[in-house]
Amino acid sequence: MKRLTIITFVLLGAVLLSACATSGGRGASWPGLSADANNAYLADGSLVYAIRLSDGAKVWQYPEKSAGQIFYSAPVITPDGQLLVGSAGNDHGLYSLDLATGKEKWAAPFKAEDHFFASPLVIGDAIYAPNNDGTLYVLKLSTGEKLWSLHISHSLWGAPVTNGKLIFVTSLDHFVYAVDPQTRQIAWKTDVGGSVPDSPALSTDGSTLYVGSFQNKLTALNAADGQIRWTADTKGWVWGAPAVEGDTVYTADINGDVYSFGAPNGKNAWPDIQPDGPITGSPLVLGDGVFVVTESGTGFAYDRNGTPLWPNGTTIGGKIYSTPVLAGDKILVTPMNTDFLLVALNSQSGSILWKFTGK
Amino acid sequence: MWDTLIINPFTNVLVLIYTAIGHNFGIAIILFTILIRLVTWPLNGQQLKATKVMQDLQNDKEWQDIQKKYAKDREKLAQEQMRIYRERGINPFASCLPMLIQFPIIIGLYQSIIRALATNPLGLLQLARSLYPFLNSALLIPLNSKFLWMDLGRPEGIPFPGGFTLSFLPYGFPTLAIIVAVTTYLQTKLTMPPPSAGNPNDQTAAMNSMMSLYMPLFLGWLVLNYASGLAVYFVTSNVLGIVQYAMMGRVNWRNLLPGGSKPTPSKGK
Repeated sequence: MKRLTIITFVLLGAVLLSACATSGGRGASWPGLSADANNAYLADGSLVYAIRLSDGAKVWQYPEKSAGQIFYSAPVITPDGQLLVGSAGNDHGLYSLDLATGKEKWAAPFKAEDHFFASPLVIGDAIYAPNNDGTLYVLKLSTGEKLWSLHISHSLWGAPVTNGKLIFVTSLDHFVYAVDPQTRQIAWKTDVGGSVPDSPALSTDGSTLYVGSFQNKLTALNAADGQIRWTADTKGWVWGAPAVEGDTVYTADINGDVYSFGAPNGKNAWPDIQPDGPITGSPLVLGDGVFVVTESGTGFAYDRNGTPLWPNGTTIGGKIYSTPVLAGDKILVTPMNTDFLLVALNSQSGSILWKFTGK
Repeated sequence: MWDTLIINPFTNVLVLIYTAIGHNFGIAIILFTILIRLVTWPLNGQQLKATKVMQDLQNDKEWQDIQKKYAKDREKLAQEQMRIYRERGINPFASCLPMLIQFPIIIGLYQSIIRALATNPLGLLQLARSLYPFLNSALLIPLNSKFLWMDLGRPEGIPFPGGFTLSFLPYGFPTLAIIVAVTTYLQTKLTMPPPSAGNPNDQTAAMNSMMSLYMPLFLGWLVLNYASGLAVYFVTSNVLGIVQYAMMGRVNWRNLLPGGSKPTPSKGK
């Protein structure tokens, strides 16, 4: 009896300390989301879900039972019907799932040193997967075999983008890197003064790179050589990737402000627009404006002049940190700290169409 | 409330130390643990003294006699125990109070290390919000988590030679987990009082004996799976614990020898 009591106390201590040190699972960080014409793909904690867009029903989940993987980055849909998702669990794995069934096609047969927080980029037959260990891993699309890797620097959390010549990678070490996939070398790097936790955005012609940073700035860089073209001040840290639409660069900060910068000069065209809370997700460009979600659990849409499209926004609930996704006529939002994992809004009216609870 | 009063101040002090010593997070954890130990030193001392009084009481003949005499009458036993406490001016809770005060501090220290390590996006957002304005968080982040051969934000392990892997040791040879387990074992053993000779049912001794086995295993397991920054804290804390006991003359070196933890003879009043 005495022994049992002691073991119980030790186990209770274990649970308490483990809870303090929790490094994964649902709620430990924010989910990742992507969509195609039929389904949304949600990476949320230990599971990846496919959810039917028409009614919010679950199509499949991966894995069948939690297996130690933790998924936070937006899954990537490949042209050949794969869904790529990196794990932020201690497995440090990158997985290919069958888009239709959710069955595992391959698990990358190498082990990164750390978590995958960034979504990978697919170019042709290669996957470019940045890792928290500071390395860009390049894998074969069909099998996940490592082709080559390039250690860049500190943690890489943003999905890379490409203009067809260079691959642009952001880092928490305050630098933006351009990697030449031909030479497998860093072509240039530029210090933007603060950590860059999300992706850069490219101008429509691929000549300019826009980067938000913790330095309370949006920076425009020449994509060819990394020279800074202009910088624009924000009131708080810019967490999410900027969104480009023609000559406008939309961005938002964790102070809760939304900006509409002119792409050529970095002038903010909008008056003070501050919805109801901090913004970490990227703005989502709609047909007639832009949509943002706040940590307070609300979605707001503005037209190109900054006038609210829906007077009081749409109350979604929970806390929202992830970037929303446009899927046809629906806006998909992934709140945390609520009973539902995914919410679909009508992109015209902002009304809630359905909520997905994971069941 | 907990964040405002405990975790945020702790995190800021930790980051302040990190900044002052040239961006070495491992040294910052060690210095911060020493600082907390110094702050709680009087409480620890008070607790140790009170514990010693209670342990001495376990070996006291009158105390043992009433245990035997009223073994089947709980109420009477309690009355007699209270009488002895009163007569000798002993507060039976004197050893608990300092521990209760220290407990939130230790948990806060532990949580502030986890917060400062910010191993995922939400963690980084929480860290950013925890830092006071005088710390230029935009320049400070990311904190340099490299220390010796470790990345303090990740579980530690030295890769096996030749790419050899073991599924239950995914990070390689767990040096730090072993050091944590050994220092925890040493601390528990060295600070364990000898069981009382006249009291075969000495619960404290039984508890200590079990703890000396389970705690090293548990903390070693924790270190295997969580950020190695925590391991630096555990090792520092264990070593400082031994030092403090040694300075108070309470380290029982004989416990390390086989059969060293022999019962102490009971004393009369």
